[in-house]
Amino acid sequence: MSGVRWAYAINQWKPQFDDFVRREHHERALKTISIAGFDGVELTAGTGRWEPLGNPQQLAANFGSVAGFGDFVRSCALSAVSSWVWDPAERSMEHLTGPLSPLSADDVPAIVEKARWYAGALAELGGSVLVVPGAPAAGDGDPLDDAALDQLAATWNAVGEAIGQDGVQLALHVDFLSALRHDGALEALLARTDPSVVGLAIDTGELTVAGIDPLALIERHGDRVRHVQLKDALAVDDAREYRQPAAHWTVRVRGGAREVPRWFAEPGADGGLVDFPALTRALLHADYTGWVVVESDQSPHPAASALLSGYLLQRELLPIVEGAAAGAPGDR
Amino acid sequence: MTDASERAIKWSYMDHWRSNGPAGPVDQWHSHRTMSAFLKQVKAVGFDAIDTFDFRIWQMYGDYGGPAKYQEMVQDHGLERIVNTFHAADYDLRSYAPHLPETHDNILGDFRVTMGRWSEIQLDNIIVMPATLYYDMEPITEDKLKHTAELWNKVGEITAGYGVKLTCHHEFFCGIQSEPDIDTFYSYTDPQYVNLFVDTAQHCIAGLDPVALYNKHAHRVSGFHFKDTRHVATGDDHRHRPDSEIMAPTTGKWFYEMGTSQGLVDFAAMMTAVRDNGYTGWISVEHDKANKEGGDYSESTAISRWYAKNVLEEIYR
Repeated sequence: MSGVRWAYAINQWKPQFDDFVRREHHERALKTISIAGFDGVELTAGTGRWEPLGNPQQLAANFGSVAGFGDFVRSCALSAVSSWVWDPAERSMEHLTGPLSPLSADDVPAIVEKARWYAGALAELGGSVLVVPGAPAAGDGDPLDDAALDQLAATWNAVGEAIGQDGVQLALHVDFLSALRHDGALEALLARTDPSVVGLAIDTGELTVAGIDPLALIERHGDRVRHVQLKDALAVDDAREYRQPAAHWTVRVRGGAREVPRWFAEPGADGGLVDFPALTRALLHADYTGWVVVESDQSPHPAASALLSGYLLQRELLPIVEGAAAGAPGDR
Repeated sequence: MTDASERAIKWSYMDHWRSNGPAGPVDQWHSHRTMSAFLKQVKAVGFDAIDTFDFRIWQMYGDYGGPAKYQEMVQDHGLERIVNTFHAADYDLRSYAPHLPETHDNILGDFRVTMGRWSEIQLDNIIVMPATLYYDMEPITEDKLKHTAELWNKVGEITAGYGVKLTCHHEFFCGIQSEPDIDTFYSYTDPQYVNLFVDTAQHCIAGLDPVALYNKHAHRVSGFHFKDTRHVATGDDHRHRPDSEIMAPTTGKWFYEMGTSQGLVDFAAMMTAVRDNGYTGWISVEHDKANKEGGDYSESTAISRWYAKNVLEEIYR
């Protein structure tokens, strides 16, 4: 796994739409990520003037150009933007477009066009992975039937092939509200997609909340993994509340019937359910190369979350990786 | 990072800290869990060691079994050791005032006991504010400076017996904070027993150039607090009753982490001076009260260490 690079996700610094808009906030966050031992930063897509890091147009508006933002990132001692997380279902104020659905053949051209917008900028910033939700939320539609899975596969094959022209890979993300959580849906979608252009993002926290063992998923589909997001899970949606309409708000944000205060945390948090050393070994075993992005999703103490993650990285995970590279027994 | 044994400079973190617990802010001594989280963060950003406060020794004995056992926990987190302790005395004109000879026996007794308590680990420095609050010492006369120097010469002899340097840290609100008074004080102290600990922000707030002060007294300097400020004291800031440090009407927050925007300390010049004076060993980083006015200790610690690594180590390491 010598080809692994470590990044940290910026999303934890923006709990509300009017937070984290000023240059000095960005500078302090990027420097914090850097000194904690990470090499890159993962961005999350957004729209409008209060999302300075949300898309190529906003980067240009705030940093002069995409390249100007790249200079800014490097001035904070990070080497690259690793990846961009983008949901086509989010409207775009820059394009005056509403939600786009990967389940709609009519939306495919627009999704491809916008994906290339992100991928082109990402490539300029040294990144290599566009992360998209593999399917809409389960509560927002019918269970995925064969026709739906066929369309999803067609959409993502088209997107993956298109952004490949920019040198960027597509990774399908399974969050804990995803329709892909239904039994067999993820396997069926992966079987329908072209492995050369459509990969899988392993998000350890989301999968664990969904009741899916990320270790088992890596064992089954290690060859499809194109991106990894390491975050911890503090609770499991064992009541399967993810099927509720508007679960993004009622379950993810509000915490469902139990009012879970925080589903996710930085790796190694007290009460965390994910075994990160075991995951690192599993990725080694799968010969994974690429970005591993550490995240907390949202944190009441973003800098502390980044530093505690850095400690785990430096003191526990990197020694496993370096031990494997040196051929230490038991590390693979 | 270059291996610590190969570097001329190593970095220690002065252990001011607050985090947010479920019932409100706590410091790292709240529990073993909060202590571990603190040490992990200090280690994660690349500090080599920590400094601490003398008054924490009670928690070291009570919660950890003493300074040696606590230092083992520090080392379990990948940090080298405890480098310095800050003796934060409760100055009082009735019992504990360096410019008043009648209080010296009490102060000397305090240091004999204090050094015994620390003797199970090896410190580099015990740091003191060498004078009372400014308003308790003024007017600052030569006699008062002489009496103060006499005391610290004796204290330094006691600490030297334990292999620890006595070093003086001149807060902007203490009785010895102007350049002439600092110069006079060191002229009366014995270089063998009394050292200077340069706090870049405190001198800057007092209106001194910390680089020039360091260059003038470099042969007496046994350590540093690298911290920044955005304000120079004006008017009676240095003698405000009852407190100048966190209650001065002009300024709600005096101290900022190294690397802050709008900082007044020229750290590049400072590091160049450290190099050119041939200093080797520990530089401590401090940003006390970082949590005031919305600040965050974790972030300030990250920013300061980022600056040390990416700017200062390019000058001297």
